Amino acid sequence: MPEEDANTDSCPECGSTHLVRDYQRGELVCEDCGLVVDEEYIDQGPEWRAFDAEQGQKRARTGAPMTYTIHDKGLSTTIGWKNKDSYGKSIPTRNRAQLYRLRKWQRRIRVSNATERNLAFALTQLDRMASNMGLPRNIRETAAMIYRKAVHNNLIRGRSIDGVVAASLYAACRQCGVPRTLDEIATVSRVGRKEIGRTYRFMIRELKLKLMPTSPEDYISRFCSELKLDGTVQAKAAEILAEAADNELTSGRGPTGVAAAAIYIASILCNQRRTQREVADVAGVTEVTIRNRYKELTEKLHIKVEI
Amino acid sequence: MTEKTDIIIQNIVATTSICRSLDLVSILKALDEGAVYEPETFPGLVYHLKDPKTASLIFSSGKLVCTGAKSVADVKRAIGIVVERLVKAGFEVDESPDILVQNIVATSDLHTQINLTKLAIAMGMENVEYEPEVFPGLVYRVRDPKVVALLFCSGKVVCTGAKRNEDLHLAMGKIRAELMGVGML
Repeated sequence: MPEEDANTDSCPECGSTHLVRDYQRGELVCEDCGLVVDEEYIDQGPEWRAFDAEQGQKRARTGAPMTYTIHDKGLSTTIGWKNKDSYGKSIPTRNRAQLYRLRKWQRRIRVSNATERNLAFALTQLDRMASNMGLPRNIRETAAMIYRKAVHNNLIRGRSIDGVVAASLYAACRQCGVPRTLDEIATVSRVGRKEIGRTYRFMIRELKLKLMPTSPEDYISRFCSELKLDGTVQAKAAEILAEAADNELTSGRGPTGVAAAAIYIASILCNQRRTQREVADVAGVTEVTIRNRYKELTEKLHIKVEI
Repeated sequence: MTEKTDIIIQNIVATTSICRSLDLVSILKALDEGAVYEPETFPGLVYHLKDPKTASLIFSSGKLVCTGAKSVADVKRAIGIVVERLVKAGFEVDESPDILVQNIVATSDLHTQINLTKLAIAMGMENVEYEPEVFPGLVYRVRDPKVVALLFCSGKVVCTGAKRNEDLHLAMGKIRAELMGVGML
């Protein structure tokens, strides 16, 4: 079985990317030259048609899917807590102590060395922080992947695990197009925002991740929904920001501040007024910042706002 | 070439060694006002000069750091004055120490607005640092000469880390060329 899926997306013979999975034969076949790239591989798909993710999970043929958020990728087995053997018969009392010991040792052996123990610790931290912020599955996976890469490249040495975990999460959020501010990450983490920012920059450089600078647009939908503003305000705010970007008003300014001001203006224009205080709290900037950006935006874009 | 003239040096940091060891407390007594020595807060003696407006940090190891000068000539003058006063006060110090410039900070102006987001993408995300959330400027590290430049959206540039005047001009030239190359200037 190939170690990574990455090397099976093009044919080694002709370089074509038209690879077809033949589930009847369990083969990966190149459609252009007919080469069998991989055989006897596992069909990871569900047993039959599923109409949503929950059904898909239920009908999966195998166990839980592989995940990077568990230190052994969720592939190890555990001895069940039921004292039953494979036939469903209960295990005689004299063997129970043995089974108890086996279970205990298996649990201990799951984490074999210090590296793995650190990884397990880091990933639980990651999960805790992600749960705290209510981040979805895909971001957690991405963050875990970034963290593993960092471990692989020896970037943890000399840095705290917490810091690297927080930085991975921050990078993952940005990679998935739903950036969180460093402050938001810092509140659920044990390290300060400066440390996170520093670690993040270091990791970006070392891992050669290419992440665009955050733009104010990315924050609009999240801030709007936190302020309970509807779609019209969102659209208006996006419109203001697009115009602001054309007039060079966003460059060199904190994206959250610009986003907050745009939302503030949009909320007034749409008659769903929020106070500067409310917007400032959600965006994590001060009211002064909002006022400054508000002034810039209204003056340069000639927006008439009646208060 | 009017471009070269608009690089303004803001600060020069230079070090030198004037003797093996110094008794800072007696120096503090010997020097007039302008000398501050608080071992609780800072292990060195800080000696402020009015002209040239510099601060010299004198350490008990006999090392001297001169900061705040705006030109290399000022550095030499400032250290000369400090050494002269020490000699006058009866301390045994090297009267013509070797002065080593450690860092030159300079500012410049490109006289144009820069869209930093576009610039960051154009110059390649791996070569520059631009995190508006953390710092409003774009950080551009020039490899040779080893200089760090901070570019701001107003077109102002801060250049740090240079050891020589020529390095500054060389680095600024490179930055200009780079900006021209991506069509931002």
